[in-house]
Amino acid sequence: LLKDMDKVEETSKDIIKFTAEKLSVDDVSQLVTSPLCGAISLFVGTTRNNFEGKKVISLEYEAYLPMAENEIRKICSDIRQKWPVKHIAVFHRLGLVPVSEASIIIAVSSAHRAASLEAVTYAIDTLKARVPIWKKELYEESSSSWKRNKECFWATNS
Amino acid sequence: VEILYFAKSAEITGVRSETISVPQEIKALQLWNEIETRHPGLADVRNQVIFAVRQEYVELGDQLLLLHSGDEIAIIPPISGG
Repeated sequence: LLKDMDKVEETSKDIIKFTAEKLSVDDVSQLVTSPLCGAISLFVGTTRNNFEGKKVISLEYEAYLPMAENEIRKICSDIRQKWPVKHIAVFHRLGLVPVSEASIIIAVSSAHRAASLEAVTYAIDTLKARVPIWKKELYEESSSSWKRNKECFWATNS
Repeated sequence: VEILYFAKSAEITGVRSETISVPQEIKALQLWNEIETRHPGLADVRNQVIFAVRQEYVELGDQLLLLHSGDEIAIIPPISGG
């Protein structure tokens, strides 16, 4: 049995997807599952129903697609330099994302848990600072506003 | 070169993209001024945006850009992904 395990080679995958369809934690988790891994860590970002006393009914996302995908690839590459992870999946939804639905799912698998837990944190923090994706909050009172992440590396809240 | 507008900047200009003619060598800030002349409403976001030139971030400053026909330059307002 040990001999068979030596022969098994599994190429590490970076799976990046943008879609208007509803995201599934189960599907994304399956993509990074591996017999070599004892840990899968996940981050799921969901639409919150309030901001500064206003009722949020939905978020609307847009992205500069080829660059967003490339920036996420760079993040995957950074992760692989820092931690021994196996597979990485980043799924981001575009268009309307109603309250409590997922806008982003990040899944990372690794042999032991420390690597994937740290890698997932790094991935979401860096995505919020660097990847060209925008969200607009749609409020109940028919107004809306483009959000900005405090992590955004070039714009300060002035 | 092709200028791409996103999020708030697209709402201000009313367009998602347009082709403009600029010198092959131009400072980033000068390029911004060219664009702002065409869309004065963009003055509101001048201090918040960054460029992406051929998909690499460039601040609106003194950096000299070497542009080629067909290059893509995106106006990137503060991001809010995730």
